[in-house]
Amino acid sequence: MGRQNGAFPASPRAPTLSPVSTAPVKEPEVISLEASELALPWITLVWNDPVNLMSYVVYVFETYFGYPRAKAERLMMDVHTLGKAVVSLGTREAMETDCMAMQGFGLWATFEKNQ
Amino acid sequence: MARAFRRRGARMVARLDRNEREVIASLMEQTRSLLAPDVPSTGDAFTDLMASLESGATAPEGLPRGTDPGDRDPALARLLPDAHRGDPAVAAEFRRLTEQDLRRRKSDALTASIDALRAEADRDRLSLEPATAQSFLIALTDTRLLMGERLGLRTEEDVDAWEARVEADPDDPLAYAAALYDFLTWLQDGLVGALMGRRAFPDA
Repeated sequence: MGRQNGAFPASPRAPTLSPVSTAPVKEPEVISLEASELALPWITLVWNDPVNLMSYVVYVFETYFGYPRAKAERLMMDVHTLGKAVVSLGTREAMETDCMAMQGFGLWATFEKNQ
Repeated sequence: MARAFRRRGARMVARLDRNEREVIASLMEQTRSLLAPDVPSTGDAFTDLMASLESGATAPEGLPRGTDPGDRDPALARLLPDAHRGDPAVAAEFRRLTEQDLRRRKSDALTASIDALRAEADRDRLSLEPATAQSFLIALTDTRLLMGERLGLRTEEDVDAWEARVEADPDDPLAYAAALYDFLTWLQDGLVGALMGRRAFPDA
């Protein structure tokens, strides 16, 4: 995703997270998918691109889905570091609606049947 | 000297001089000319919907713009990407149902933003109503996506290579486009931060 810094940045890199944490191992407090969500047959995906800002992607996930900041940031980091993230699950019709909304915001979104 | 967006009561206000505002407005006009729907709005949502469905389903004079994926401007393919990877029929059906509506929404956001940029000709500022602030974010996004595609920025490596090239030779013709792109990036990040109540990320 794109850079966060100003017009003529001294450091052109976006903030990055170390891929390997040295912190004590513990279960994450928020998991991506609830068990009940896994039964839902279709998913909306957002894919990484080099233009969209990390801050803007968080804003979109918060504003459109109403996700709490922590979940919106985690999904954004998944997009940024893993290349994509499942941002919603539901019926095909609901996923078409979400996909259209994400494309309306300029995010690179697709939908598909959950495998 | 430009200053990033800050919240002023319910409004989002940035300091931008007339020249800066006009440069942004003209870039947004170029984006709008790419995105404008095939069927102009009549002002009636139902009539527009029917007209756009018809436009997607039939080919009055040759193919409707962008119906054939091989035919599409690559920037348009990025602004309105295939919504299904692996099933062209699903992607085509989604496009038929959504493309004209998406084009209209994006065009409307660009128009609202261009109007705001040209609203106060003699003051060095851009002041956005709450309803226009999100439209302005979307208009900036679509404009940066178009510029990014024209500059060949498709991967993070492309961005690195492009930055190295501009740094190595400030007289490179790309440098001006790079400065504009970075300026829009900076402006957008500031507006996101102001809308979210803080800077989403510290300056690098």
